[in-house]
Amino acid sequence: MKKTLKEKLAESRQAYAATGCYAGITEPRLLRSDPIAAELFHSRLLAALIAGRETTKMISGSPYVREVAELAIGLYTPEGHNIAQSTGIQAHSRPMGEAIQWMIEHDWEEKVGIAPGDLFWFNECSVAGMHPADVYDILPVFREGELVAWVCTVIMEMDIGAVSPGCMPVPNVERATDGVRFAGEKVGSHDQLRHDIVTKCEMSFDMADMFLLDRKGAIAANLHVRREVEKLIGECGLEWFRTATCELIEEERRNQLARLRQRTVPGRYRNVISFEYYMAQQPTSWLPAKRDVIRLAPMETRIDASGRVVLDFEGAGEWGWHSFNATPSGMWGCLAIGIVQTLSWDGRANLGSLLPFELELPRGTVFNPGDTRPLAQANTWATTIETFSAWMATLSQTYFMRGFREEMLGFRSAYSIAMVGYDQYGQRRPLLAACTGTIGSAASAVRDGLDPGALLPTPEVDRGNAEIWEAFVPHLDLSHRLDPYSAGAGRYRSGLCMPIMNLIHGGREIVGSALVSGGTYGILPNLGLSGGYPGGKLIRAVLHDTNVAQLIAERRPLVHELGSPADPDYARLIEARISHPHHVPEPFALANGDITIDAHGAPGGFGDPLERELEAICRDLDNGLITAEIAARLYGAEARFDTRMQSWQIDEDASARRRREKRAERLARAVPAREFWVGRSRQLAAREFDPLISEMYASSMKLSESFAQEFRDFWALPASWQPEVP
Amino acid sequence: MPLSREDLADLIDGRLPWPQVKAIVSTPKDDDRFQRLLEVLQTRVAWAERILMPLGDHLYVVEKGTERIVKCDCGQEFGDWRCNWKLHSLVLVRDGEASLQEIWPGRSAPDPRLCEVREYICPGCATLLKVETVPFGYPVVFDALPDLDVFYREWLHAPLSSESACEDRSLTVIGQWAADRGAPPGPN
Ligand SMILES: [Zn+2]
Repeated sequence: MKKTLKEKLAESRQAYAATGCYAGITEPRLLRSDPIAAELFHSRLLAALIAGRETTKMISGSPYVREVAELAIGLYTPEGHNIAQSTGIQAHSRPMGEAIQWMIEHDWEEKVGIAPGDLFWFNECSVAGMHPADVYDILPVFREGELVAWVCTVIMEMDIGAVSPGCMPVPNVERATDGVRFAGEKVGSHDQLRHDIVTKCEMSFDMADMFLLDRKGAIAANLHVRREVEKLIGECGLEWFRTATCELIEEERRNQLARLRQRTVPGRYRNVISFEYYMAQQPTSWLPAKRDVIRLAPMETRIDASGRVVLDFEGAGEWGWHSFNATPSGMWGCLAIGIVQTLSWDGRANLGSLLPFELELPRGTVFNPGDTRPLAQANTWATTIETFSAWMATLSQTYFMRGFREEMLGFRSAYSIAMVGYDQYGQRRPLLAACTGTIGSAASAVRDGLDPGALLPTPEVDRGNAEIWEAFVPHLDLSHRLDPYSAGAGRYRSGLCMPIMNLIHGGREIVGSALVSGGTYGILPNLGLSGGYPGGKLIRAVLHDTNVAQLIAERRPLVHELGSPADPDYARLIEARISHPHHVPEPFALANGDITIDAHGAPGGFGDPLERELEAICRDLDNGLITAEIAARLYGAEARFDTRMQSWQIDEDASARRRREKRAERLARAVPAREFWVGRSRQLAAREFDPLISEMYASSMKLSESFAQEFRDFWALPASWQPEVP
Repeated sequence: MPLSREDLADLIDGRLPWPQVKAIVSTPKDDDRFQRLLEVLQTRVAWAERILMPLGDHLYVVEKGTERIVKCDCGQEFGDWRCNWKLHSLVLVRDGEASLQEIWPGRSAPDPRLCEVREYICPGCATLLKVETVPFGYPVVFDALPDLDVFYREWLHAPLSSESACEDRSLTVIGQWAADRGAPPGPN
């Protein structure tokens, strides 16, 4: 009697629970007996997946695929466990498997039927995924009538029929506003999409052509991988294939544990981040959603003697009526992206990479709301990605302590303006341009961070070609310059960010909103390393009713960089009515000639800025990566421009003097920690803090007695102390 | 890839050319990196205590007699490694518009109603040891509490002489502060 997929999944889980080894493989033998065959086997799987991904790029027409390459392909065991993953966005390696497992557990085999050539779609984020815009194309692989693997491709869509404004709408809070969700629907057979499904897409999406082209790309990729897998099984035999794929996961689990023991230090590590969800003024008809809240996310990482890692989010604030709640599936996804870039990059980077980790996500928190079916989930991604951007600082701390300073890597989230409206071709649709690739990376302890080209979601960051985006979106790109004010200062500075500046052009009836991949705004994420600072707050400006047409006619300069945030270029060079929407803005109107600006802060610098080598400061000055004002203010370096040499010169004596003064000033201004503690403790006892902060602590304390206890203990507050809830 | 002592010293000083750093990033990690790093670091400090673990650019956990304490390379000591060293440092707090603008001008400054920035400074050498950007009133973050005994015994197979439980003892400092605060002013 053939086993059902459900039975196989239950068996695999039991075997893992009983042995701690994937599929109960306590002694992996097959791959070890022939290491060359093992490497060839893995290389051929990877080659098939990567070739599939490249195929998609050639077929699909959407800029998210062609310009930003927001797609990836994974190969799964019959039980939905990731064996290998292509290049590209790594977040989905586990969620795509969870989608498959959900179908198995919900009797798909018996009640829906799974046959060779069947096509399934999935973007139901209450089950698995990062946000509904990421659509999974799932294809089973059969051998002699038996399902032997799954191939799954993920592509991020610009339009899935969401309520305006756009594919990741900010103001919307209820499920239906997310657009169309597919929960494993069988959308085709014999490798062909059903005519009725195609028709449904044509009726549902403003950009049905893009959506369907992406599906064709995904199906082509899946078919390519299926053919290669069939070929491989033909060569090596089904039993060998089965054992080898399971061993790839188990070996990776072991290797990942070994890497953790080799590169980190056991112990307890802490960080904290907070998310600002400003919904009070959002135009939503679900009135309970209309409130501004901040949610706290304390993070404790514990590495034990075996190398296993627990990430504990005890003390996190409550979930709420907004589209930013994270889910366990999303959290696992972002953990996968975080570790693949510094830990498992030289391994198999499959499910095994995640098995040494455990996530503690208390129920009822913003990380684990429980049943998310009623909720919009357009921005589930935002909270998870920012959480793991901050967690990378913890991972970097352990690398630093162990001596692997070159592996330190950190990120920060990006925001950009999103729009909906009529484009330059007269079609009404979401008008979303990517902000990826505009953020610098954190510094390490051996060098400065990378200037734009650092984004946690994908190691292959690309902002895409401005000209292509301009063909898709009614705007003109005004800036591709590095912003000296964006860096996190330090002995090694972070990378610089590139402000996004667009001139609205050629469209009509445009509504602005935002593409959000984070949640921090007024409270900077705690990303400074060993005395380095994080970059500043997002500066978002929208210039309405501008005199740009006149400036162009008179051939006078427009705005191409931020300049000093204290006296920004946009306010000086352009006559306009300026608004400064926050990171999750209420929708606003845009007209041709308006300018939108997003200038980001980078993640953290490393080390005391007063210890930065003067030579490095001089080099940055010559390259336009710092200004003399910043050099003096943050680095204590005295620089002047030598007009004869056409280069910057640093006055070493004056700089040494200035640095001495700055150190003396620190000592004069700083107080013993005890004095700070006495003052702060008194303020907290008197509840002298902002109502948003008060409610934030109340929310965490409501869910976690241990957090409440620790908070009161730290500030020596009476046991009866509670923050007021406004 | 085994690193020579010179290359390791250059690496941590940021003097190794990028192609070599890239090669170190991309090749299998050297198992004895930690021990070799300690050798380099130990030669650079002016004091004699054995370095057990680097915590930051200037901070180390060191063995002092039977104690393990946090110490700055300038010689300043920050007490038992199980107490958050920040509680023994100086703090420059930025929680108002003016002080925040010194670092982040204009609209790049965090919101002083919501955010506070704490700069932990070494009383001995005035070095900025750590910048903390947190919601107003958040307890001082205890960044790293390494489990030294598990690490030395089970990962390095070189157990330390006097083992002691790895537990957060920061509250002993806080308890003292609270007691002092509550006590009536003394003769001094
Ligand atoms: Zn010092």
